[in-house]
Amino acid sequence: MSQSPDAASSASDREAAGGAGHSVSRRRFLIGSAGAAAAGAVVGAGATRLADPGAPAESGTSSGASTPVGVSGGTGSSSPDLVDLATRVPFYDQPHPPGIITAPQRHAAYMSFDMLPGTTARDLQVLLARWTAAIAQLTAGKPIGQVQPTRADAVGLDTGEALGLEPASLTITVGLGPSLFDKRFGLAGKRPILLRPLPAMPSGGALQAAVSDGDLSIQACADDPQVTYHAVRNLARMVRDTAQTRWTVMGFGRASAGAGQQTPRNLLGFKDGTRNIVTDADRAKFVWIDDGSWMSGGSYQVVRKIEMHIEVWDADRVSDQENVFGRTKSEGAPLGGEKEFETPDFTRKTADGAPVIDPTAHIALAAHENNNGVKILRRSYNYTDGIGQYGQLDAGLLFIAYLNDPAHFVTLQSLLGARDLLNEYITHIGSGLFAVPPTPATGHYIGEALFS
Amino acid sequence: MLVRHSRRPAATGLAAALTVILAACGGTSSTTPTSSEHGGTATTRSVPSASAPSNPGNSPSGSADGSLAPIAGGVSQVKLTLDGNSCTLDHRAATAGPITFTVTNISAAGLTEIELLQDQRIVGEKENLAPGLGSVSFTATLDGGTYVMYCPGADQENQDFTVTGAAPTRGPSDVRALLADGTKGYGQFVETTLTDMTVAVDNLKTAVDSGNVSDARAKYALARPFYEKVESDVAGFVLPGSDPSDNHGNLDYLIDMRASNLDPAVGWTGFHAIERDLWDGSGKITAQTKKYAADLQTNVTKLVQLARTLDYQPEDLANGAAGLLEEVQNNKIKGEEEAFSHTDLADFNANVEGARQAFAFLKPGLAEIDPTLTATVAEKFDAVRAALNPYRDATQPGGFTLWTAELRASDAATLSKTVQALQDPLSKIAEKVATA
Repeated sequence: MSQSPDAASSASDREAAGGAGHSVSRRRFLIGSAGAAAAGAVVGAGATRLADPGAPAESGTSSGASTPVGVSGGTGSSSPDLVDLATRVPFYDQPHPPGIITAPQRHAAYMSFDMLPGTTARDLQVLLARWTAAIAQLTAGKPIGQVQPTRADAVGLDTGEALGLEPASLTITVGLGPSLFDKRFGLAGKRPILLRPLPAMPSGGALQAAVSDGDLSIQACADDPQVTYHAVRNLARMVRDTAQTRWTVMGFGRASAGAGQQTPRNLLGFKDGTRNIVTDADRAKFVWIDDGSWMSGGSYQVVRKIEMHIEVWDADRVSDQENVFGRTKSEGAPLGGEKEFETPDFTRKTADGAPVIDPTAHIALAAHENNNGVKILRRSYNYTDGIGQYGQLDAGLLFIAYLNDPAHFVTLQSLLGARDLLNEYITHIGSGLFAVPPTPATGHYIGEALFS
Repeated sequence: MLVRHSRRPAATGLAAALTVILAACGGTSSTTPTSSEHGGTATTRSVPSASAPSNPGNSPSGSADGSLAPIAGGVSQVKLTLDGNSCTLDHRAATAGPITFTVTNISAAGLTEIELLQDQRIVGEKENLAPGLGSVSFTATLDGGTYVMYCPGADQENQDFTVTGAAPTRGPSDVRALLADGTKGYGQFVETTLTDMTVAVDNLKTAVDSGNVSDARAKYALARPFYEKVESDVAGFVLPGSDPSDNHGNLDYLIDMRASNLDPAVGWTGFHAIERDLWDGSGKITAQTKKYAADLQTNVTKLVQLARTLDYQPEDLANGAAGLLEEVQNNKIKGEEEAFSHTDLADFNANVEGARQAFAFLKPGLAEIDPTLTATVAEKFDAVRAALNPYRDATQPGGFTLWTAELRASDAATLSKTVQALQDPLSKIAEKVATA
């Protein structure tokens, strides 16, 4: 049957890793801006999307016969943004869930769900087990079942729009919302210790229930937007008799850098995530839960849908925009400095005694130096919802952060929400906190410990 | 969508043959839920002896033991293990009689269901298989013959399973007879509905002819639900001898066309042209309105005559029910069906009721095939009806709150999601009953 899953996953692993004998013609590459000039000059069979060298989750695809990006000619050096759509990110048997320290892919589809009234703990268990199996299939670039049913009058198990597409580094990160641990499923005793609804914080406007919270969430990220949407669509479809969709956001461009990536820009035109967490030491300290509970190895996910007042921002002079962020626009250097990765000097004064970086500039309030050393891992995406009811571009940032203590976000956002110069140009309209359980071993499923 | 039916006008000979089959297979069968060791639900049903050899292309599994499965407590015990991408039987033969299949998914992320087939008919199955979920089992009482264990997506999708000897007592089950009973009963339901519709359309015409807008509105709302209950069965009808691509002879078009899909070559007539006259502005009955009502009566009469020649296959009921829910999602939820009267929720209710009737007639047979799916669909129908209950309002035409733009803005998404939760499990019924 043509739609059968591949026979041997190990063979597919080798294939994706660019092993010997793999057909070059199946490979497709995406080149970032820095590498665009070299796009026609890609050579070699083993080009692989650069993975975060510090992320164990990527080791399966960056090892073996895979070779670095190859370019020829004198047009430029290799691009850190070259991606190979054939790349697969391993799912089972990893130390941490995928899609957290995986080098951010270019596209995201985020969706939250509510369990239907009357569903039971067993329904939730089956949902999580089936999602897990489907995620293993999807991230391997396989359909979750027959697209073309062998039997008359049958509906397809997979909807088919990803047939022929590469895995594109798809990762799917499942989150459990605080509401899942209420009385409905008898899981109160298994509640991740720090999973409570986020408290009210200043955020520039009223959060909308229609784009907030949920019993469950899915973050699907890949270098091909059709791959991300196929994933969330099919995961939603396969559980439609158990859970209903609550809200969704399509993210079209990554707005946070992982280790080894160029810093991308948000829709305000500024680099975002220059000072992101990139070391294993910081990950251990700020990202991974390590409390001996069933959640150890996992993380907490904060998601905020942040609307940007695009037209207002675009009419602001760049010098003021730079003052709002505390960085230069093109280079992204901290004000008073010259290069992006210089450490900001928050003490520096101008000749007339005023601070060079405004104390209420975005980077000043967010800096770990000014927050008792607290850092959070950001993994955000730009989004657009078209044109809003007042005729303005409806776009912004789907802010996603991973942290081992949600209080770190509360601390930062309380400060930012109250004082950030950026608040004139943004409004937080959606919010959610989810616990991301550790990744399952082969033969097991996400959240299995909830039912033991 | 236009539901494409396999239904066809019954030839006299066919109808006679059906009667004979029903007379010969009048027994009932039982489904006995029992709990299995690991929390899964086991079901038992009996099947008659194999009537045809299994798929000759199936090779025997290399790993399965050819010896007869052990018997415990009078029941043969067969284990089926899904691992990696393989689907492995520990025994591929058993003695005729009750046989319990215990299915365990060790690590097969791509395998979610298995079926035991006899000549392409499902005699036992398990769905929602996923690694880590523990074992589930089903028991079937099998007579001698060759069966096929079907594992969609596995390295070897079809494996022969041989049953030797004859079952000591043959079970009375005959799923096909139950389904045939259901299709017959459903045919009677359609017949009754169409007869009622004829009366209701007569009443509407009388009220329109009287010139009383208020009475005509009430009669309009009373006439609508009949069509909506059986719409998916009659939507494909064309007048005998007319070109199927020409709306002049398309009865669904002539009866139920809306302003949004008018064919300029034909113009507007039917229910919704009357609706516009009765509700647009303060409502007005003109000579043209009376012409619409007379034409409607004529076309409905023709429709009823044609519909009386129908007979139904089980999958027609399933596909028809799915088609009615599509009608809900595409037109009623959005308030496009009754754009002037806003009685969409009455149509919504009628679509759901028509789908529920089709399901109810399939239920005895379907419960034999897949009790879990049957229970799920029944439960989701209840949820949809419960979701509609708050909107019941006897003071309004059609008996439901008017589905205004304001109400849609606040409530449509929730109602739609409740229907979605029914649509997906319902969409799985057709293949089950078609292969029974």
